[in-house]
Amino acid sequence: MAVSTRIAYVEGLAFSYPEAAGAALKDISLELERGEVVLVLGRSGSGKSTLLRALAGLVPHFHGGRFSGSVIVTGLDTRSTAPAALAGTVATLFQDPEDQIVFERVSSEVSFGPENLALQPAEVARRVASSLAAVGAEHLLDRSTRDLSGGELQRVCLAAALALEPQLLLLDEPTSQLDPEGAAAFLELVEGLARERGMSVVLSEQRPALPLEICDRVLFLDQGRLLLDAPRTQAIEWLEENAPVFVEPPWLYDKQAGEPGTTICRLEKIGYAYRPGIPALGNVSLELRRGEVVALAGPNGSGKTTLAKLACGLLETQEGQVVRNGRAGYLSQDPGRYVVCERAEDEVALGIEGDLPRARRWLAELGLGGSERRHPRDLSSGERERLGLAAVLATEPDLLILDEPTRGVDPERKRALGEMLRAGSSGRATLLVSHDLAFARSVADRVVSLGAQGVPIGA
Amino acid sequence: MRPSTALALLGACVVAALVAAHPLSLVLLAAVLLALLLETSWRRARLFLLGIAVSSFGLFLIFPLTAHTGSHPLWNGPILPGPIGSIDVTREELATGAVQTLRLATVALAFALWALMLDHDRLVRETRLARRSVLTVALATRLIPTLERDAAGFVEALRGRGVEVEGLRGRSRLLAPLVASSLERALTLAESMEARGYGRPGRAPVARARFSWRERAALVFSLLLVVSSLLWL
Repeated sequence: MAVSTRIAYVEGLAFSYPEAAGAALKDISLELERGEVVLVLGRSGSGKSTLLRALAGLVPHFHGGRFSGSVIVTGLDTRSTAPAALAGTVATLFQDPEDQIVFERVSSEVSFGPENLALQPAEVARRVASSLAAVGAEHLLDRSTRDLSGGELQRVCLAAALALEPQLLLLDEPTSQLDPEGAAAFLELVEGLARERGMSVVLSEQRPALPLEICDRVLFLDQGRLLLDAPRTQAIEWLEENAPVFVEPPWLYDKQAGEPGTTICRLEKIGYAYRPGIPALGNVSLELRRGEVVALAGPNGSGKTTLAKLACGLLETQEGQVVRNGRAGYLSQDPGRYVVCERAEDEVALGIEGDLPRARRWLAELGLGGSERRHPRDLSSGERERLGLAAVLATEPDLLILDEPTRGVDPERKRALGEMLRAGSSGRATLLVSHDLAFARSVADRVVSLGAQGVPIGA
Repeated sequence: MRPSTALALLGACVVAALVAAHPLSLVLLAAVLLALLLETSWRRARLFLLGIAVSSFGLFLIFPLTAHTGSHPLWNGPILPGPIGSIDVTREELATGAVQTLRLATVALAFALWALMLDHDRLVRETRLARRSVLTVALATRLIPTLERDAAGFVEALRGRGVEVEGLRGRSRLLAPLVASSLERALTLAESMEARGYGRPGRAPVARARFSWRERAALVFSLLLVVSSLLWL
């Protein structure tokens, strides 16, 4: 008798979120085999996260909305099985690890899932130890989740998912907060676990280069429709033809010829520590001149954000000197979270003394024309990021600092962002903080790298 | 000491603070709790201390103006329409206001100790009864540092656009976005918890250790504190 290798199948799935104008998923049908790694690609808002949530049963149980078709995971129909009941079979890792932490200590966090499955204490302890070991984080067992770096937190969240010993692991943009080395190590780890445990993995990503190397199959979604479901080699050919931006090498932008202009900001022998004795930065010097785009790269925790905040005056210097000529504008990480006004146009106008016509111009410039009167929190995550950018650009700063502006941004938007940065670069100095080294190299005139201890290692 | 024992001690302190009538008992209780709080990390305790100071000072200011007791007036103000009536301050109102303020500060100090010193993880895992409620309170407690971090993020994002957040009015503008942001976080957290099996019937048995003599003593002391506050304090 033939043994079925199918772990899940989706038949004619359509879904709309409550009060949404359009459908998030339309007529999706696919099958998932045991042990395969499936990569889901698509533009922002194409339905990638919704598809993952449907496989976990969170759509429709948690979100409500209109659902038709069927999703069967290990023989269980997700319409009649609650997500909590699927937890021993399916595990999900969401985008932002910080938002999914329940407990203070790593050991409690990882044991939360197995305890919910009502396992015996000895089995819970075994699963905690083995899942932390599997992700190389056994040394974090007694640490506080509050003190972990982004990369460490991501590993702990993966361990918490693995502790459920799932047959299907769903990863929603798991590397968006990791530097290239961290992302490569994470994906290698996931691939190894899938092969070793025979676990199926479905992951969505906005930086497709690395996952394309490890996946078996690729799905491509566009406006909720499944346009592609093919093995890796065929998928790459299809992407080259139909969505080249997902597989092409970084775009080469028009860079300004000639020498940059006057110095806008000079940092001299800067040192900074958030806690005494633990330097975040040491002896860093950097000059930013009008007309140039400088990228600041380095691994997680190397002090890139600290340097950026010192450059624009959000942090006071402790050692060394910062000289600034002109006004600085700073776009923080995750700007979509920090919206304060009730209307998009008011949000942009806030920094320009309520100048609404100018605010509307910048909204249109960033592709948000027509959304002027919408509540910022009703916008999609990508739109909110652009709203944050519009709010900073509208102030027309002499020094523009962008902290990880490509995080969670799809390749098309990333290219548009690069073009916009280059187009307006002649009138200002631009500092781009990014661990997306490919993007940084393609858009910047020079790349400055910080080492692990916040020490400059080259330009 | 296991967190449930520490919780019993803090609970007894709260009961004592609410029922004790003598100001000296309240002063003593508040002083002990404050000393314990200062033993924790200053960086984390300062937010709670600020909150306690502001709310206590506010109560001390408002109480004499809204109460109508005492026969030794120190100041007579106007008569306002509605339930407030005459605005005056008497010596008795000041004394009662001071006691109520002390009561509030003591309860708030006990809460700060709950937030900063208790091992919430262990408490949730050890709790047999009302585990969901304990988890909810533990998560709400963790929200305080998250809100603090989010507030800093909002201020930073606005300063990045050249907008300075100053004064009470400026900061109060952040209140609604902060609430909205924490609701968004809560939604993701709830989704993540459900995906990890929270809400399934059944519960993993928890290995339980025997009470040490210190814990027994602490529980007896908690009981004595409650009884003595009801009878004598």
